[in-house]
Amino acid sequence: MALVNVSGLRKSFGKTDVLKGVDFQVERGEVISIIGPSGSGKTTMLRCVNLLERPTGGRIEVDSRVLCEEQANGSMTFADKAAIREAREHIGMVFQRFNLFPHMTAVENVIEAPIAVKNVPKPEATARAHELLEAVGLGHKGDSYPMQLSGGQQQRVAIARALAMDPTLMLFDEVTSAVDPELAGEILLVMKRLAEQGMTMLVVTHEMGFAAEVADRVLFIDHGRIVEQGPAADVLQNPSHERTKAFLHAVLDRAPMEAEVEEAAEGLVDDLLVRPERIGGDDDGS
Amino acid sequence: MDLDLVWEAIPLIWKGASTTASLTAWALVLGTIGALILALMRLSSIKPFRWFAAGFGWLFRGIPLLILLFFAFFALPDLNIGIVDGILLEPFQAAVVALSIWTAAYQAEVIRSGIIAVDPGQAEASEALGMAKARYMRRIIIPQGVRIMIPPYTSNAMTLLKQTSLATLVTVPEMTLLTQRLFSNDFQFRERIAALALLYLAMTTVFVVIQQVTERTFRLKV
Ligand SMILES: Nc1ncnc2c1ncn2[C@@H]1O[C@H](COP(=O)(O)OP(=O)(O)OP(=O)(O)O)[C@@H](O)[C@H]1O
Ligand SMILES: [Mg+2]
Repeated sequence: MALVNVSGLRKSFGKTDVLKGVDFQVERGEVISIIGPSGSGKTTMLRCVNLLERPTGGRIEVDSRVLCEEQANGSMTFADKAAIREAREHIGMVFQRFNLFPHMTAVENVIEAPIAVKNVPKPEATARAHELLEAVGLGHKGDSYPMQLSGGQQQRVAIARALAMDPTLMLFDEVTSAVDPELAGEILLVMKRLAEQGMTMLVVTHEMGFAAEVADRVLFIDHGRIVEQGPAADVLQNPSHERTKAFLHAVLDRAPMEAEVEEAAEGLVDDLLVRPERIGGDDDGS
Repeated sequence: MDLDLVWEAIPLIWKGASTTASLTAWALVLGTIGALILALMRLSSIKPFRWFAAGFGWLFRGIPLLILLFFAFFALPDLNIGIVDGILLEPFQAAVVALSIWTAAYQAEVIRSGIIAVDPGQAEASEALGMAKARYMRRIIIPQGVRIMIPPYTSNAMTLLKQTSLATLVTVPEMTLLTQRLFSNDFQFRERIAALALLYLAMTTVFVVIQQVTERTFRLKV
């Protein structure tokens, strides 16, 4: 039986219908990439899976736990608070903007939930945290605070933090889009390794390379509906829907455009450097 | 101005300083406990709690402290509600009641705004990890909110300290009352009042120093 079962999922914010009936299943060990234009509802859909967003319709089941269910009369019933917390223990989530705890070191970030939620003794949790940080290539950064780490490093700590709960499912929401492009690779590498080790993953991404290489299936969502889903190769190389074709066309067209922008920017470098407000203020505004 | 008269006044007024300090301390402790409860009520998902806390803030931030003080001292003894048949408070007790209520109302706003200023992503990350609200409020949200709360909290505490001078009007023998007694005997207004001002300044300086130390303690380590 599938690890994740979503059917008829709907979500509206006030009068805006964001998800208009979404159905999908995720098998154990499967990696699914969710792609689609901005505002299509990808983040909302992902956040419904661990009930960070409360659906307004449909049914979600994760690992045989029913998180919410629409009744025959259209009203929603939700699992109680304790059951939701229990389910979340097994669903790791990694956010676009990391959301690390800024007043805690990398190790403290990683051990907080295992100690608080699973009553793991501190020495044990700490040993495991060091292992996990080692695994994401940050063995030497355990005592660093988030502010002392690059975006790529912070995101890898965030992945380690989620993994410390031994989740059966991991949710990723555009985890590379808030870091410098040259640091995205180190995050994607960690995710790829995780996929190889058999983790079940739902990955919202704009990285078509990752989708093509790592995902078993790709799910294209547009205007709150799944327009097309299937094996990565089929959807990415042979899309059957016009909207998928248009979207992929636009995304893949971006590559030459980026090169152009870079070329254009190169001509500007001299100008930028002499603008005093630019000097020394280029570390991402953080 | 005769500086000798200023210095001479200080030990005389000093006897009232301990009363001023203990009024401030009691009101700050009781008021902060009240403020914490009010702030959590205000942020709770239970509507009557939110209404109560909002109403409390509206009422007690809207009435002059002096009137609260008069009410606690002069009006409570006449109050008849149900089984309560008038509450007679000593001047000091009445002042503590009024000042605590005032502090609770103002510091509740400080605590609440500190908590809501913390990035909502912090609560989301905690929830996603399966943490219970009580736990992540204590471990994640409040420690970050405290940093934001320190400056306005200290300002209110300094205001509280200065406002204890109003207790003079319900005959609490704190610094201002002792000074008044002094200058109504010897008519050395300038010197006595200057001495009183110096003492208040010395006491509020303690808060300024505490603020600097706590800000340094709670600053993000970089
Ligand atoms: N809390 C909210 N309140 C109101 N509207 C919201 C809220 N969250 C999302 N929306 C709306 O829902 C729609 C889908 O948003 P969502 O973030 O799921 O899109 P997305 O596919 O993740 O887009 P992007 O690629 O830009 O991240 C958008 O129109 C957005 O404005
Ligand atoms: Mg999104």
